[in-house]
Amino acid sequence: MPDAALVERIVQRDESALALLYDRYAGVLSSVLNRILRDTQAAEEILQDIFYQLWRTASRFDPSRGSLGGWLLVIARNRAISRLRKRNPAGGEELSENQVVAPANLESLVAKRELLVRVKAAVDSLPREQRDVLELAYFAGMTHSEIARHTGDPLGTVKTRLRTAVEALKHNLQPSDETRQRDLGQQATGNNP
Amino acid sequence: MTNGHPTREEDFDLYALGALEGGERQVVEAHVAVCADCARKLAEARGRVAMLAFAAPRVEASPLAKERLMARVRAETAPARRATTAPDRHGGRRETESDVTRGRLFNRWWAVALTPVAVALVFATILLWRQNEGLDRELANERQSLASLQREIEEAHHVADLLAARDTVVVPLMPMPGMGKGMGRVTYNAHMGMLMYDGDLAPTAAGKSYQLWLMPMHGAPINAGVFNPKPGQVEHWMIELPAGVAPKEFAVTLEPAGGMPHPTGPKVLAGAVA
Repeated sequence: MPDAALVERIVQRDESALALLYDRYAGVLSSVLNRILRDTQAAEEILQDIFYQLWRTASRFDPSRGSLGGWLLVIARNRAISRLRKRNPAGGEELSENQVVAPANLESLVAKRELLVRVKAAVDSLPREQRDVLELAYFAGMTHSEIARHTGDPLGTVKTRLRTAVEALKHNLQPSDETRQRDLGQQATGNNP
Repeated sequence: MTNGHPTREEDFDLYALGALEGGERQVVEAHVAVCADCARKLAEARGRVAMLAFAAPRVEASPLAKERLMARVRAETAPARRATTAPDRHGGRRETESDVTRGRLFNRWWAVALTPVAVALVFATILLWRQNEGLDRELANERQSLASLQREIEEAHHVADLLAARDTVVVPLMPMPGMGKGMGRVTYNAHMGMLMYDGDLAPTAAGKSYQLWLMPMHGAPINAGVFNPKPGQVEHWMIELPAGVAPKEFAVTLEPAGGMPHPTGPKVLAGAVA
């Protein structure tokens, strides 16, 4: 069943729809929260808060504006980084804002498995110094200057490394025609293996 | 900036990562607020950057976390349900002075007569409230069971369709020489693009995963799932693959944790399609 249909059922206060969405996304959300925070309890609190927010504000979700799975991942990272750095979350956490267009259909188990392989391969294929700055930016929420201070490298070097890393990531995550067609087919039929 | 647009599209990814600072950040923010095209590019960049979550080592959410979430949700909905059925206490008419005098005498008499009834009512209310709480819990448990059953039924339908189809093939996967014990079975229908795997393999070493591949008659191997079996647990799943691919062989290889885009490790199990 597509995310949009489950969100519609949540708006009707159907708890089982929330449980299904939880089963679909809790794994990857839990992984990224634990990687950022390295604290199981804090990760679980944020995971619960995100799904509770979804329960309370589901009516604001507009599937034509982006992917629910992508939004959940963005919010999870934002909150974990804020907790890690002891600051309030940045704005744009409402379901109605912060458009996120995912490069694959996250509702499909097959697409998620493929994505996992592609992302890991893309990150692993980066030279060590580029991978390090990308991980500091994504998992530690550091800016260019903060990374430069952390690594001791010149700011210009950090900027070049990070830019090259995101270029490579963008290239590697470009969906193939075959993937795009299959994702579109699954979205149309609501097929979520 | 060119015509107000960021010079490089990677700026959107860097913004989504949170790496830009000060002026660089403000320039992107100010521009996407007025340029729909660039707002769309930023949405795509957010999606791309969000996929880095898949690079995190897999950590399953605790089953208790889900229970706590559902309990929180039920705690919110239960009072709301009770509130909608509570009696309206503000519907009475305004009392006159004589009403009050008559009422006082009346009340004294009734106060004595009705005290045992009031006490009984309090007990009954407490009892009913407890029963109501119990019923709410039971209802929530039933709903959870129903959701779980719905999932099982959905999968059972897929399995039934797969097994009933005439062109479904069943391919036993046998251990390769020197690769230890274990075996598996693939049930596959090319027309439907459905594959079911059942297998019994020893757990992998740290940093490794098994990966199932469909080796087509023509073209590159197709990833059909990455898995890490738990001790004593039979692996079973269904997966949808691109339809219409004629398989030559199915194989399980040993790969770096998380799997690879193409097979790189040794074959552990394999089975040719007859």
